[in-house]
Amino acid sequence: MYRIGVDIGGTFTDFALSNATGGRMAIHKRLTTPSDPSEAVLAGVATLVADSGIGIGDIVDIVHGTTLVTNAVIERRGAVTGMLVTAGFGDIMDMGPERRYDLFDLRIKYPPPLVPRRLRIEVDERVRYDGSIERPLDEASVRAAALKFRELGVEAVAICFLHSYLNPEPELRAAEILRAAAPELVVSTSADVFPNMREFERWTTTTLNAFTQPMFDRYVKRLEDGLAGAGFTGRLYIMGSSGGTLTTDAARRYPVRALESGPAAGALMSAHHGRSLKLPNLLSFDMGGTTAKGALVKDGQAIKKYFMEVARVHEFRQGSGLPVRIPVIDMIEIGAGGGSIAEVDARGLLRVGPRSAGAMPGPACYSQGGTRPTLTDANLVLGYLDANFFLGGKMKLDKAAAETAIAENVGKPLNLETLRAAWGIHDIICEDVARAFRIHATERGFDYRNSSMVAFGGSGPLHALSVARKLKIPRVILPVGAGVMSALGLLVSPLAFEVARSRRIHVADIDASDFASTFAALESEASGYLKRAGVADADIKIVRHLDMRYQGQGHEIEVTLPASGTAAGLFDHLGELYGSAYEKTYGLRLDEPTEIVNWKVEAVGPTPSIAEGHGGKAAGGADRALKGTRKAYDPARGDVTDWPVYDRYALAPGAVVKGPALIEEHESTCVIGSGDAVTVDAHFNLIAELSA
Amino acid sequence: MSTKSFDAVSLGIMWDRLVSLTDEIVSTLVRSSFSTIVYESYDLSCVVLDAETNSIAQGTFGIPAFIGSAPVTARHMLKKFPAETLKPGDIIVTNDPWLGTGHLFDITMMRPVFRKGRIVAYTVSITHLPDIGGNGFGSASTEVYQEGLRLPICKLYEAGRLNELIVEIIRTNVRVPEQVMGDVMANVSCNEVGGRELLAFMDEYGLDDLKELSAAIRSQSERAMRAKISEFRDGTYRNRIKVEGFGEPVEFVVCVDVKGDSVEIDFDGTSGCVRAGVNVPICYTNAMGLHAIKSLTLPSIPNNEGSVAPIKVKAPPGCILNALPPFPTGGRHAMGHFVTPTIYGALAEAAPDRVQADSGMMNLITFQGRRRDDRAFSCLYFAAGGYGALENLDGWATLPHPSNMAVVPVEIWEALTNMTIESKRLLTDSGGPGRWRGGLGQEVVLRNDTGHTLTMLGMGNRMEFPARGQFGGGAGSLRVHAVDGKPVHAKGRIEVAPGARITVTEAGGGGFGDPRQRDRESVRADVLEGFVSAEAASAVYGAES
Repeated sequence: MYRIGVDIGGTFTDFALSNATGGRMAIHKRLTTPSDPSEAVLAGVATLVADSGIGIGDIVDIVHGTTLVTNAVIERRGAVTGMLVTAGFGDIMDMGPERRYDLFDLRIKYPPPLVPRRLRIEVDERVRYDGSIERPLDEASVRAAALKFRELGVEAVAICFLHSYLNPEPELRAAEILRAAAPELVVSTSADVFPNMREFERWTTTTLNAFTQPMFDRYVKRLEDGLAGAGFTGRLYIMGSSGGTLTTDAARRYPVRALESGPAAGALMSAHHGRSLKLPNLLSFDMGGTTAKGALVKDGQAIKKYFMEVARVHEFRQGSGLPVRIPVIDMIEIGAGGGSIAEVDARGLLRVGPRSAGAMPGPACYSQGGTRPTLTDANLVLGYLDANFFLGGKMKLDKAAAETAIAENVGKPLNLETLRAAWGIHDIICEDVARAFRIHATERGFDYRNSSMVAFGGSGPLHALSVARKLKIPRVILPVGAGVMSALGLLVSPLAFEVARSRRIHVADIDASDFASTFAALESEASGYLKRAGVADADIKIVRHLDMRYQGQGHEIEVTLPASGTAAGLFDHLGELYGSAYEKTYGLRLDEPTEIVNWKVEAVGPTPSIAEGHGGKAAGGADRALKGTRKAYDPARGDVTDWPVYDRYALAPGAVVKGPALIEEHESTCVIGSGDAVTVDAHFNLIAELSA
Repeated sequence: MSTKSFDAVSLGIMWDRLVSLTDEIVSTLVRSSFSTIVYESYDLSCVVLDAETNSIAQGTFGIPAFIGSAPVTARHMLKKFPAETLKPGDIIVTNDPWLGTGHLFDITMMRPVFRKGRIVAYTVSITHLPDIGGNGFGSASTEVYQEGLRLPICKLYEAGRLNELIVEIIRTNVRVPEQVMGDVMANVSCNEVGGRELLAFMDEYGLDDLKELSAAIRSQSERAMRAKISEFRDGTYRNRIKVEGFGEPVEFVVCVDVKGDSVEIDFDGTSGCVRAGVNVPICYTNAMGLHAIKSLTLPSIPNNEGSVAPIKVKAPPGCILNALPPFPTGGRHAMGHFVTPTIYGALAEAAPDRVQADSGMMNLITFQGRRRDDRAFSCLYFAAGGYGALENLDGWATLPHPSNMAVVPVEIWEALTNMTIESKRLLTDSGGPGRWRGGLGQEVVLRNDTGHTLTMLGMGNRMEFPARGQFGGGAGSLRVHAVDGKPVHAKGRIEVAPGARITVTEAGGGGFGDPRQRDRESVRADVLEGFVSAEAASAVYGAES
């Protein structure tokens, strides 16, 4: 009885194996195969199984996270997609939000719609704001549209009608007609994909679903066939963006729900560490080559939201991407990673990122033709990275090239010594990350000062302690497997499905039985997905949320209903529940009538557990793990000093490392500053306590 | 490099922290606001001033109308309540158009920040309130006295004690007292948060005061702005544009003097004030002028006293761009937004690669009436015209400029008002032709399905004077308001009978450069997508059909 997590990233595909009770762990990493990503998955599973001395028949679950959907949107590699839309409203896709996200930049950019105007066909039908039908669907024109789509070479169609979140019938009927008239078309309806108010966002979400569906469907099929061919008889699950896994049926129907599923798994793993270390409130900090990602964990659960942007076209700026409404882990993305380029900004001061040197040409020290100084160059010059032990020694770095790039592009124009400039690059990135976390946490009423941080990714451990210090966070956890966190996270994700529906109503206008029956419909829809996957009724946890606000306000706040009690019973306490949620966020209550905007239900299966640690057999004190010393920059002294360097894999539980020190693992290096101390816990995690 | 104590790294870090601190104040304010225009269009601002009332950081989000106003208001406030008499816990407010930001709707609130018994800074917040009494938001008044409550500079809090009388005065004068006081108190708490965060910031960096940091930020900003302005060709540049008023058109006349590293903008010759609430106090003219130069030079530089120092904006007292009391100013933006394109037009020769052709601008219409269930509503409908083209950039369809707002989704509008939106379409050929095409305008058809008579209050423009093109680019199409097919004026008050159809046609943006030089592939793509008709492609763009 084993389970495998597989996460496909841009460069590597990561694997983690555990047995169902949590005894054994194995990790594997291999290059991603971009032309057919399932190749690497199949090969990796075979290797992992063989290396662990088990058979593929022993694998019960494979949980799969992937950026395929996101990448297909960014690179616009999806199906030729058409849109069937309420007459008079097809142009909404070109009009977008009618809002500038930057008030001063005249050369602002927006992503073109996924469905060009000439592939949008309008049909006569109209549902009113209350769900009633003003004009019935013109069925003949839908039939004509099917033939027209065929003529235009359309493969997938998004059916997008107004107010379909209240009355899905016209969309469903249109889908039926399209499928009958042109069975080869793959059809998504907006009421099915995410039945929420605000047509531009719902329709964009639906076009994205349609655009990626044929590709994702083929991929999952290839993967299933390949696994079956290899003898796999267990279940395959796809990681969803919201931190729960999806059955392959659900994922093929809603590929949009698999956007960002890899990063979501990383945040979930942070939450898992928090639970096992009894640290319920956490910042999850993941930093790689191009971007850093942050998420908040509150009371052991990653905070979620119902909106995200994909494929931002202007420096990661909010507002420059395609808006998507799905349940997602609420993550911030910052253009800060190892490849971030340092340059002189408009003010004449130092700025790092969001532009990135990427993998090609990469940092100057990669010797691949890059001449712009990057964060990785700075970390090398500062001595935090070892030119001979990058990626465990697989890649040799050129320190002189890094120094030249920094001196020429930053040092000289800003009149800074090279070492000071390098430290500036390092420190500014830490500031940028801290600032993004601070704003993100404040907006969500999250007290970051009394929380801990879990840091991972190739660049996370290099910066985590410094970021935490800026945020006055006293404790940082550097878990085992920082380079494969997402694959590990896949193994701790429960099977889950969430439905959310807009139904705006004044609380005064609804009674307890209407309230309960609205929830009941959503509950049976959400739990249906789990039941069909074989989860027993008793194992399904139902969580109900409402988005509510005072009438007249523009922003809702989410109220989670207590798990105990029936929906009808909770109805009487709604005023109190909202009042206290509002007070928690804004510090006051108002004497104003309230309304409900969105109704949300999550059905969650049991959370699997996994083994902890890296299975190492290290014993003894920290000195046994000492590899030597290296010249590295100590900001407290403003100069280079000798720092001890430790081998992470040789550090045993109970060992204590006092800063300044560097702890090296294959994918990253932990920088422990002066005054800080790290303890190795029973599961081989490094727990850093920061000096005040 | 900057002053001795801060190098390029530490100055950048502290500066970014200060700006982010103001962003935090903004986010607190926005999320608890009852004012549609605050949470949808960020009609607000948060600013940190040093002890000498120099502005050193301003929230990144916030409409341009508030650039440069906070220090001026603060100085007026300190004239009445001198700094040495202020106590911790004092909060000073006003909404006077000539002391604050140009109309009664905006409240400006200032709170001193004390450290070791001394004032080290002031935080200032400004928001557009949900209501201020009087005739309501619009241009219907003929004197400022009709526009609502005018609160002189006063202390809302004295040493931490709320002045209940002021609260009562506000509550008595407005239509939605709970919401207005909700927003006033949101301003109070965001200033408190700002003060606390500022002190924590000073602790963290060991700063006893902000003097040196302020000086470093201001001088660095000023130097960067001056360097960029020097790239303009020196000269005296003029422009005049017509703007629809009430009756006779109003003329904006500008002379922009670019001399080395500074710019002086003078509106001498501009028409006088009108008896409608669209007159513009100088603070607003100044803000829009600063916005214009900033967007042409260093759009990403944070606003502060230094970044605006090289720019002077003047207008003779009594002209419509330096309106004096008692002229009404409620809809000052309807006129004031034209300041930006007037300046772009003047500077075309000075910075041809940076200026933008005129935009179709945005349209705000207030609808008042009753829903089918008899509940009263007063809602702001918004639709954008096309964006003006720039060199190498076609204008975006339906994107506002220079001010900003966000679309009201059809589904939300219908639920809010019970009106029906019959269609919302792009208008083919509405974008001004050009080598880079102007952005398309749109047509929105709304039907009064509420079962009651509706009142429509408009402040629309570009009904006579279109968005002009630049360097041979053509003008965008005009804005038209019609009820049941009959054109109506876009400004003023229109009664709409049950069942009647309102057609709002939004203006297109101006084009940039000669349309015959437009790249042929783009002409073909525009025809394929229906943004340009085949006829226009051949007649205007010279496409071979």
